[in-house]
Parts: sequence; C-alpha cells; structure tokens
Amino acid sequence: MQTFLQYTILGLAIGGSYFIAASGLVVTYTTSGIFNFAQGAIAMLAVFTYWQFRWGWNWPAPLALLMVLGVLAPLLGAALYQVVMKNLRGTSEVTKIIVPIGVMLGFQALATWVWNPTSSTPRQFQKFFGPNAFVHFGSIKVSWHEIIAFVIAIAIAVGIRLLFVRTRSGVAMRAVVDDPELLQLNGGRPERLAMISWAGGSFLAALAGILIQPMIGSAMSAGQLTLLVIDAFAAAMFGRLRSLPRTLAGALVIGLTTTYVIAYFPSKWTWSSSFRNSLPMIFLFIVLIVLPQDRLRGATVLRLRERFRMPSIRTAWIAGLVLMVVVFCLKVIMERTAVNTLTLALTFAIIALSLVLLTGFAGEINLAALSFGAIAVIVVYHFGTTGSGADARTTLWGILLAAVVTALVGAVIALPALRLRGLYLALATMAFGVFVSRMVLTERNERDIFGVKFTIFTAGQLSIPKPKIGPFDFNSPDAFLFLCAGLFAIIGIGMVYLRHSGYGRRLAAMKDSPAASATLGMSVVRLKLSIFMMSAAIAGIGGVMMAAQIGTVNSDRFDILLSLSLMMITVVGGIGYISGALFAGIFLIAFVQMLDLTLKKFAVDYSSLEAIFLFFVSVVTVLPATIGITMGKNPSGAVSDIVAGLDQIKQSKPLVITLVGLEAAIWALAATDVITNWNFVILTMINLFIVPVIGGKVLLARAMRGVPKPVPPELIGIDRPFTFDDLAEMDRALDLEGVVVPSAGTVREGATGVSA
Amino acid sequence: MSLLETVDVKVKFGGNVALNDVSISVEAGSVTGLIGPNGAGKTTLFNTITGLQPLTSGKIVFNGKDVTKEPPHKRTRMGLARTFQRLELFTSLSVRDNVRVAGEIRNRWSFRTTRMDVNAETDRIIKLVGLADVADREVGEIPTGQARVVELARALMIQPTLLLLDEPASGQTEEETEQFGELLKDLARNDGLGICLVEHDMALVMKVCETIHVLDFGTMISSGSADFVRNDPTVIDAYLGSPESVG
Repeated sequence: MQTFLQYTILGLAIGGSYFIAASGLVVTYTTSGIFNFAQGAIAMLAVFTYWQFRWGWNWPAPLALLMVLGVLAPLLGAALYQVVMKNLRGTSEVTKIIVPIGVMLGFQALATWVWNPTSSTPRQFQKFFGPNAFVHFGSIKVSWHEIIAFVIAIAIAVGIRLLFVRTRSGVAMRAVVDDPELLQLNGGRPERLAMISWAGGSFLAALAGILIQPMIGSAMSAGQLTLLVIDAFAAAMFGRLRSLPRTLAGALVIGLTTTYVIAYFPSKWTWSSSFRNSLPMIFLFIVLIVLPQDRLRGATVLRLRERFRMPSIRTAWIAGLVLMVVVFCLKVIMERTAVNTLTLALTFAIIALSLVLLTGFAGEINLAALSFGAIAVIVVYHFGTTGSGADARTTLWGILLAAVVTALVGAVIALPALRLRGLYLALATMAFGVFVSRMVLTERNERDIFGVKFTIFTAGQLSIPKPKIGPFDFNSPDAFLFLCAGLFAIIGIGMVYLRHSGYGRRLAAMKDSPAASATLGMSVVRLKLSIFMMSAAIAGIGGVMMAAQIGTVNSDRFDILLSLSLMMITVVGGIGYISGALFAGIFLIAFVQMLDLTLKKFAVDYSSLEAIFLFFVSVVTVLPATIGITMGKNPSGAVSDIVAGLDQIKQSKPLVITLVGLEAAIWALAATDVITNWNFVILTMINLFIVPVIGGKVLLARAMRGVPKPVPPELIGIDRPFTFDDLAEMDRALDLEGVVVPSAGTVREGATGVSA
Repeated sequence: MSLLETVDVKVKFGGNVALNDVSISVEAGSVTGLIGPNGAGKTTLFNTITGLQPLTSGKIVFNGKDVTKEPPHKRTRMGLARTFQRLELFTSLSVRDNVRVAGEIRNRWSFRTTRMDVNAETDRIIKLVGLADVADREVGEIPTGQARVVELARALMIQPTLLLLDEPASGQTEEETEQFGELLKDLARNDGLGICLVEHDMALVMKVCETIHVLDFGTMISSGSADFVRNDPTVIDAYLGSPESVG
C-alpha cells in the first residue's frame, strides 16, 4: 500500500508536468494552427538556462525562476512566432511540420554547443527546496517538489479553462484559428493574440521542463529532455489538441502507468525500463488509431506556394547517366575518405528517396525514415549474410527479405495513415520512430521467443558486410560507390516512371484533393497502403546500404533526430523532386562534414585564429536547422531555384561553354593533384552555384534592356482621334471581340462582331 | 421514383441550422435547379448528398437506395458525380491528366466489362466540353471559367447517372455560358443524365431547368417550374428583401 501511494503521487506529479507541457501545445495550436514540435526543445533550453543561473552562477532560486519563466521563456516564444511561425500561414502541411522541427533541431544543436555534454562535471539538477524537503503523511513521505508540480498543473488547468471560456481575449484566441480575417474585421488582433499565446506556450514548456527534470532523476541531457517532453504529445492527442480536461486525464494516465511499470514489473524483466520509456509512444499510437476520422479536406493547393514539375522519362534517364559519370569523375580525383563520405551521402540520398515518394508524390508524411532502415538492418544482420570474417557478404536475398519486412512494418504503421493525414500521421510515424529507438534498438539481451533464442540488437552494435549480388562482389569501396549511385539512379528513374503512370496520377489526385478523389469513387485504402509499403521498403534498402558502408552500426545511427534532419533537408532540397533527395544526402552528410573538417583543419593550421574557426565549426552544427527554418519563405525547395537559374543560362551558349570549360579545368587540376580535394569541391560550388546566378543576372539585365515592357491593355492610350482600327485593336487587347457595347445612342459593335 | 431524393435533411453546425428539413428531388433526364442567396445552404446540401458532410437527421435516397450511411466513394460508384464551387482540381496535373485520371480511377472500381478505353474517352470528353485548346496546359494556369469546365469534364469521365454542378458557370463569359447551357440540355436529353444545378446566373437557370428548388437560410421556400418560381412572392422577398423587414 505504501509503495502504491508513493508511486501514485510520483505518477500524478509527472503526469501533471506532462499536462503543463501539453497545455502549452494546445494553446499555441489553438491560436496559430501550428503544432509546436519545438515544445520539448524549449523545455530543454529552459532547464539548461535555469541550471546555469541556479547552480552555475549560484543565483537564488526565486531570481532564477523569475528570469527563466518570467522573462526569457515568454520572450523566446514571442520571438519564435514573430520571426518564424508567422510566415507559415498559407503554406502546406509539410512545411508547417518541418519548420518547427527545424527550430527543435536548432535548439538542440545550440544547447550542445553552449553546454558541452562531454564537459568534466555532470550537471546536477535538484528539486525545489533541495533533495531532502519532504512532507510526511502518516507513513509515506512526499517531496515538496512533487506536491508543487501537481498543484501547479491543476491550477493551470483551471486557469486556462477560465481564460478561454470566460475572458474576452480567451474567446478571441479561439477565434484566431477559425478565421483570423473575420476576427480582424470584428476588431480583434489575431497576430498579437497568436504571439501572446506563443509566449504563454513557451512559458508552460519551460515550467514543465524545470518541474520534470529532477523527477526523472538522471543527469541533464539535451536529447533526452527534448524527447521527454515529446511524451506530452500523447497527452495533447488525448484531447485532440482542443479539450484541456481530456488532455489532463491523458497526462495523468500516462504519468501513472509509467510509474506503476517501474513499481510493479518484476525486476527480472530486463525490458521494463525500455517499456516504460516507450509507453507514451504506445499511448500516442493507440490514441491516433482510435481518433475519429478527419473530415475529408478540400484542396487548398491552389493557394499554396509549392509547385513541383515532374521531369519527363527521357530527362530522368539522362540525369541518371549524368549522375553516374559525375560520380566516376569524382571517384578518380578523390581520396579514399572522401569517396567513403560520398558513398555514405548516396545511401542517405536513397533513404531520402523514400520521403520524396511518400511526401512529394502522395502527400503523406513519415518522420521516422531511419527507423525503417533500422528494421531492415536488423533483418539483414540476422538472416541476410553469408560467410564470416573478411569473407562475410550481404546476400541479395537478405536485402530483398529486409525490403519485404520493412514494407510489412510500413503497412502496420500506415494503419493510422489510412484515416488520418498531415500532422496526425506525422505524429504517428514519430511515435513509431521513438518506439524503435527506445524499445527495439535497446534490446541487447537474449530472449526466448517461442523457444527460439534470439537477440535483436546484439551487443549494441550490428556489423553489416558489403553485398554480393550474383557474380558481382561489391566489397571494394569503388564497386560499392557505384552500386549506391546506380541504386539511387535506378530507384529515381523508377519513381519518375511511376509518377507518369496511372498509379502516379492517382497518387497526385489523392494528394491534391482528397475530397475530389473520393467523389470520383477513389478508395484510398489500397493506394495509401501500397505507397507506404513501397516507401518503407526503399528506406529499408537505403538503411542497409548505409549500414554496409559504415560497417558496424550502433543505435545512434537510427536516431529519430537524424530522421527528422533528413526529412527537413529533403524538404529544403525540394520534396517533390528526385534531385531533392540527392541534395539531402549530399548536404546532410558530405557538405556538413566537409565544412566541419575544413574548418577544423584551418583551426589547426592557423592556430592564432583557432577560436574563430572552432566557433564556425559550432555554427555548422546549427546550419541545417537554420536552413530548415527558412523554409517558410521558399516552400518549393532550394534545388528548384538552382535548376531555374540553370534553365535561364541554358539559353546562352557562351555561358554554358564557360561553365563546362571551367569545371573541366578545375577537374583536371584536381586529377593532376595540383589542387586538393577540398579546394576542388569549393571551386566547383563557386562555379556551379555562383557563376550561373551572376551570369543569369547579367543575361536578364541585357534581355530586359532591348525589350519594352508590355503595356497592360487598360493603359493603352492614343493621343489622336480614335479610328476604326484603333477600336479593333482595343477590342483585341481587351478580349472584347464580338461583344456588343451600347454607347451614346448608337450601338458600337466589336470590330469583327456580327451586326446587332 | 426519382433518381435522387433528400428526405427532411437537417444539418446543424453547433447551434446554427444550415439545413432545416430540406426535401428535394432530381429526375433522370432533366435539369433541376437549386437556387438561393449566398449562405442559403446549397453547397452544404451538395455535401450531404455526396457524403462529405454528415447529416444531423434525415436521409438521402439515390436510385431507390438509402445511401445516408455510405461513404463518398461508394456513392460515386453508384453513379453520383459532382463539381466543386471552390475548385478542387488536381493542381500537379495538366488539364488532360485531370480528366484522364478520373477515367483511370473509374476503371479501378468499375466492373471489368464496363471498363473504358481511358485515352479515347478522355479525348472525346475534352472535345465535348470544348477544352481541346488548353488540354496540355497546367491546370493552375487556365482561367477560372475554363477550370470549372475541367471539373465538369472530370465528373463526366466516371459516366454518372446523376451530376451535381456547383456554380459551374461563374467566371465564364456570356458566350461560354450559352454553349454550356446547350451542353447541359444535351446531356440530360440525349444521355438521360439527371442534373442538379446550383447557379447564380438566373438567365441560365431559367433557360435550362425544368424544375427549380429555392433555398433560403437553410429552408426550402419554393419549388416548381421556372415560371412558378419566378413569380412566387416568397422567392422575390428572399432575393429582394420583404417590404416589412426593410421598413
């Protein structure tokens, strides 16, 4: 009984903290229509800042609290809305999801930068009034901290409820999301209200973080904290992002069950702790499955800024060939480590293809691509290899089996997708990803499953050998590089074929207007299921290639944050394009690593400037997230801009020749070892990205000089008496041919009009 | 038996009654008009008929079968097609592919024996509705008037027996509207389609519709032939405002 009470109180306190974080989500979502994926990251930043004030600089607790909760957190929330989220009105669901994720990843990188996790002393975070402040109720003792957490949660529940229902600004806040323009006409100020609610949401996140950190009783970790408050997502879903009482109920259920698991599961069950950690995700998944179906949404696509044009099949084949040639040329000049990086980048590009297929073609969202990769890797490790030691090879059958298994897992994950779209689906896949990280990839003990002894993630790392397919052995790095490039090209071309088929058109229909598709008789079940399975299989194959390139992978390789980064960068590259996937792989792996290595090398070479270069190394870690955050401004992706620029210069032969000639010269210099690899890459970047832009500007300016601006028809003026020809000219310009216009007692006809 | 009957259809949004016991019917082989001021509930009625909007009470009978509980795609498969007032085109596809994909979707659910040659049918429909000139353009680039015709073409591809058209002529030029009216009459007379037309262009409605239902604030206030409705004082009040309420 004592245990029960003790754990019930702890459960209520943790559940209460979940609720505080979840209520922040509800408030921001209600007023801005944006689901704040960065809620956990804000909580994390608050915890670290509070630690800095309270224990780093020994401020008194009230002052530190006032500073963090009263000043910094609300400011951060308001700034987030003003600078980033405000721009997201009228963008697609994917962009609305990606940008907050970018913020989350950015904060994450920022925290690791400021509070170096490998620093000497572990940071300890204590409960309010210290670790020994207890109240005794009969035989049980409860820490003040837990009581405070629960009481604050209840107070906030009542407070927000009153705010929304009883006060004028609360009602206005609810009106913002329904119809901001109408609210504005009625004298409301939607932008200001949304900003205030973001300040409030950020405050609640910070409060939740500070309350929950000492209760989980481990050292502070940026990643763990960011994801911990993700558990609050499940609570928010209980209330469908609207109902606060149900959110509170959900949060308390989650808080209590997770503590009961710790209290009552037999200690010999080695998986209890993983299970406890994944419980919120299991809840989230179940809630999403039983959630009532969305009403069929009409298209808002016409008003969206995203536009994707599919290349013709011929273009796709040419692009595939060009890719192979480019990869070959690179291989010739690059040193071994650079080739390895390129190969790894290509494997990530293959995984990103699965996102292009699913999101770009079908409008569905998967935030856990690498988790599918992890499943495939586990399958290959256990069932897909032959030989041992240096002779070990991954078999074709192993890869195919892995693809089939991931496709089947994809089908299970797609269950919620059959009825849900957008945000809810994104959350379901994220729940799956976190579940895989916390439950599957932590499985290092031997289990007796139906009499078969089996270890899922042996010793925390799996070795995946290079594949051998029929007579072709891809063990050498060069052969494997070409395999990955070829695989990317083939899957990419296959996807273009698919997009030009009836199946691809039906996908586009489903994506563009679910309502219209339904009224044409389309049942989306098989379509969604099949596309999800196909996408999962591609992610699986990419994952196996990634693992084979690295050799031995641990669970960090499949981290949900990495999946999120990949998704974000693919959207940046252009989620509707095959090239967007290539961009994602190259950028996330090769480009970031190249910058990192180059800057570190400079730091060593020029030791007097070391601090500056190391600062830029840190900047590089924040770079991908920063680029993701700017998506609100350019939703069609970066690659399409570059391609549009290249299209312009294609019309100018001299410029094309200059470009190709320069590139060949740079390549020749590198091939003859005159310049180093890195210099080659940098020069190429300058040549390919900057020259076209400058050239394009010059061309455009020259083109504009000769051509007079077209005059809009309504501005055509004639400074002499009208003739019949002038009238005919105006009729043509105004598209009035044949229209009969009565004027001043006579009837004038359009010049070519029939008689009245 | 009518092709379509709505029986006492009621829809409430919170305390707001969008449709109050509306009963209309549409006959095969004729054009039925559905008119009323903005906000009268015309589009909501279409949404209940196609299954996009759940009913608070009442029922929808199509082809003699109660379809109130059927999902949208099942109703379509029984021969019900519609266009949207707020365009719902597939913006990633060209005009031709918008029409073609409708046929491809239809071939997925129709019986083997009734499958169509999608390419031939696409060409036929595009010519029929007069979209040949813009067939290969992006659907986002063409004027609204023509975009509405694309919606019609797409709906025709599934070879429906009942066609619901939501303001198909708005954005069209006078000449286009003229041709459009003829096309509707042809479809009803020659192909035996039942057509229900929501339209603000009264000239078009009066010309092509045999029966007209008038909605106002979610209630059906009049129903009958064009001449009857035109001279019905309640209808005139609804459109012009009654003298009492103005005074």
